[in-house]
Amino acid sequence: MIAPAGVRALAVVSLLAISALAGCGRGDDAKKDGARGDARTVAKTSARERAERRGYDGAPPVIPHQNFGVECMSCHNDRGMQVEGVGFAPPMPHAVTAGLSDIARCRQCHVFRETDEIFVASDFRGLAQDLRRGRRLNDMTPPVIPHPVFMRENCYACHAGPAAREEIRCSHPERARCQQCHVEENATDLFTP
Amino acid sequence: MDRRRFIQALGTGTGIVAFSQAHKDEAKAFAEGQSAINPSDLTWGKAPCRYCGTGCGVEAGVKDGKVMAVRGDTASPVNKGLLCVKGYHLPAMLYGKDRLTHPMKRGADGKSWEKISWDDALDLIASKYQEALKESGPESVAIYGSGQWTIFDGYAALKWFKGGMRSNNIEPNARLCMASAVMGFVTQFQSDEPMGCYEDFEEGDDFIMWGNNMAEMHPVLFSRILESKRKKPNVRIIDLATRRTATTDYADMYVEFRPGSDLAIANGILHLLIESGKLDNAFIKENIVFKRGIEDLEEIGFGCYGDQAEHYTFQDKTRDSSIDEFKKLVSEYTPAHVSKISGVPEAQLRSLAEMYGDQSRGTISLWCMGVNQHTRGTWMNNLITNLHLVTGKISRPGSNPFSLTGQPSACGTVREVGTLANRLPADMVVTKKEHRDIAEKIWGVPEGTIPAKPGYHATDMFRAFMRGDVKVMWVQTTNPWVTMPNLHRIDRKPGDGRFLIVSDIYPTPTTEAADLVLPAAAWIEREGAFGNSERRTQHFDKLVEPPGEAKEDAWQIIEVAKRMGMGHLFPWPEDAWHKPMFEEYRSFGLGHGKDLASYDQLRKTRGMVWPVVDGKETLYRYAAGYDPYVKKSKGVHFYKAKGYGEKAAVWFRPYHPPAEEPDADYPFWLCTGRVLEHWHTGSLTRRVKQLHQAVPKAYVELNRADATKLSVKSGDRVKLVSRRGSMEMDVKVDGRGKPPVGSVFVPFFDEHYLINELTLDAMCNISKQPDYKKCAVRVERV
Repeated sequence: MIAPAGVRALAVVSLLAISALAGCGRGDDAKKDGARGDARTVAKTSARERAERRGYDGAPPVIPHQNFGVECMSCHNDRGMQVEGVGFAPPMPHAVTAGLSDIARCRQCHVFRETDEIFVASDFRGLAQDLRRGRRLNDMTPPVIPHPVFMRENCYACHAGPAAREEIRCSHPERARCQQCHVEENATDLFTP
Repeated sequence: MDRRRFIQALGTGTGIVAFSQAHKDEAKAFAEGQSAINPSDLTWGKAPCRYCGTGCGVEAGVKDGKVMAVRGDTASPVNKGLLCVKGYHLPAMLYGKDRLTHPMKRGADGKSWEKISWDDALDLIASKYQEALKESGPESVAIYGSGQWTIFDGYAALKWFKGGMRSNNIEPNARLCMASAVMGFVTQFQSDEPMGCYEDFEEGDDFIMWGNNMAEMHPVLFSRILESKRKKPNVRIIDLATRRTATTDYADMYVEFRPGSDLAIANGILHLLIESGKLDNAFIKENIVFKRGIEDLEEIGFGCYGDQAEHYTFQDKTRDSSIDEFKKLVSEYTPAHVSKISGVPEAQLRSLAEMYGDQSRGTISLWCMGVNQHTRGTWMNNLITNLHLVTGKISRPGSNPFSLTGQPSACGTVREVGTLANRLPADMVVTKKEHRDIAEKIWGVPEGTIPAKPGYHATDMFRAFMRGDVKVMWVQTTNPWVTMPNLHRIDRKPGDGRFLIVSDIYPTPTTEAADLVLPAAAWIEREGAFGNSERRTQHFDKLVEPPGEAKEDAWQIIEVAKRMGMGHLFPWPEDAWHKPMFEEYRSFGLGHGKDLASYDQLRKTRGMVWPVVDGKETLYRYAAGYDPYVKKSKGVHFYKAKGYGEKAAVWFRPYHPPAEEPDADYPFWLCTGRVLEHWHTGSLTRRVKQLHQAVPKAYVELNRADATKLSVKSGDRVKLVSRRGSMEMDVKVDGRGKPPVGSVFVPFFDEHYLINELTLDAMCNISKQPDYKKCAVRVERV
């Protein structure tokens, strides 16, 4: 898909920001910030914490912040938004999915956590996120997309911008047509007769 | 990029921190600690969702005998890949630590449980049933199932009870859920189930929701309407309700009415259509007959007062009417009169009439529990369908009355197999000799096996069990000790001389009331088939083994039948009975407009919408060009209504008040229902961490003005008191639902807050479906 101009600009800017900061020796300070572990910042969330928000890889995450009583998309808009005291609210990965239009109900799938208690313990073990890199034919070829693209059409939501995690951060977000080089791995035939 | 945004991005220290070494190390450790499975390492199989009647297609990902993930099936025409939060969390539903894994018998002390073998358990059930049959006859035995029974479970239970036990005491929890819709369609078309399908959500222009919080209860279908509205901005959503909900947030018009006055509103719309000359007279002449029934309030009653509180057996009597008489009867429902009864402004009534009367726009009426759980639920179903019949807005894409269902196989099992006290498969009833003959012939049982007298309907069945008239009852796939109305009436301690068997997958208040508990296989732990709201039959394979000794419900029934000398009813190989059973069941409907797809075709497809003729499904029933049974070149043909000359019936149905209304002692209306995150009694969804944590317990929604008057705020405790029971619970003000002044709402999913101890066992006069939406309570500060 072609990313909206806003998302492209944001991705480029975040790259600029990184190089600018790296160039002026802020790297150590940044490390210190990380060690201090400000719990309110979303982008500092570890892979483990992120995984715990999901029942399994592919399940919609529960909402990690409190209910601010505002429309979800006032922060999770098409560029994402830095929210004072909270962190970066990434854009929606599925802005263009059929059935999920601008007026769709986010909380049909994403719910708040009202308690940490559970009703009954569970033996459920969900599919864990595979943090290995996508499979490649050889070192020179671009990796395939290891997850379904359905409902994750906006690659930038997770792979670029301030909230993108190190392990899946794209090195070349300025090349806007991701699926020109990365294709969906499609090895999931149903075992129906 | 403006300067501000650039600086904002620069200042995003959090983004940079993600690159720190500490974070990298943690990510690496996390990755190594995982078993690194790709989605492509799982085996994926198709199944319909286990929860509501929408019937979303899911793909379940299995590894090492366990379901590890699901995803929306993009090939399913129902949901096109989307699920709701319950559907996405399906796999965890199977793996609660307290899964029942072996049969258990109540100990001699009446409290403890002892493990027993399947053989002993099945022998015990057979002997208890045999003893009751011998001593008290077929009316003393009962089985109570649900719309979560697969088609196989329901068919096995029906055949065993009606064709083996010679008893019509088989009922489903769908009597509490869909019975009014069944009787609505049956009284008008002499055939159950809607004419339209989900494609209507893209074809329609006006979506008129009668007492139906579709945004929470049928979220994926609601999303289809929202997407349609995005593409066609003139699509309108009209929310007629007694309380503001998530659905109201998306409505173009919100019509708030006094509980029970929907009867008057529908009549008022009919009157305005007549007055403004909006009837489709040509359609009426060709396709409609007019009928009346018993209309006297005293004669009908509510099923919960006087003698009716033990047995409610009211029978409607049909008489012919005419369009002129119909017009005269509804002329009483002037806007001023209706507005007085309902509290709805006359202008809104006129808007509604304009919508129904506008032939340039497609109109879809949608309803579920608000209309069905109603002391005149069948009447309300009739009235909504009347609006479509008199305007000819029926059986065409984008214009249909569409009844939504709440369970995965309320249609497929209960309504189509006919697991009700009065029904047989394919629209047949036990009260007609020719129908009994057909069933007896297919089943190969002697003439006269099936009794002509219907058994107890659900509420009367439990009343009879408490009286001791029913001595042995088996409950499968449902939780009546949470869901029956006026729950104190069935307070039960084992050891009362009756015998209660409960098959389930988790302990519930119902297993607590039982003498014998059997562990069931759930969802894709067994082969099954469900039928959804749009007449789509969906088959699923067994994809994983059930835990411990858990067994599928149909197997449990067949094994007991064999032990009672009724094995001849199930003459199929033990390892391959699903296909021959399905094909036998299918033979009931072939050639009668209830043609199901073949077993082999169902296994290959994402479900098929019946009638399926020559392998092709029928999206719009009774419609020329769609339905192969309609031989006309255009228009409609209600070919199932043989008793009405193959026409549909428009019924005059007056306004009657509810069974109990607020008064000085009990000044609030109490309405009960569901929330998005929990399904029914929560025995499945509460065992899913994400769902339980989202809505951990029941609460009472209170209007802000009432809360202020009582000096309570969200989180405070109040006591609700009805004539039948009382309960303390947390207040919620301005939550997801906002009841109007003078009314409260409580969800029923929480077994620790049994709201049905307060509800009234009043019911629909025709369908015998209880009304969970209207009774009187008082609210006290504690």
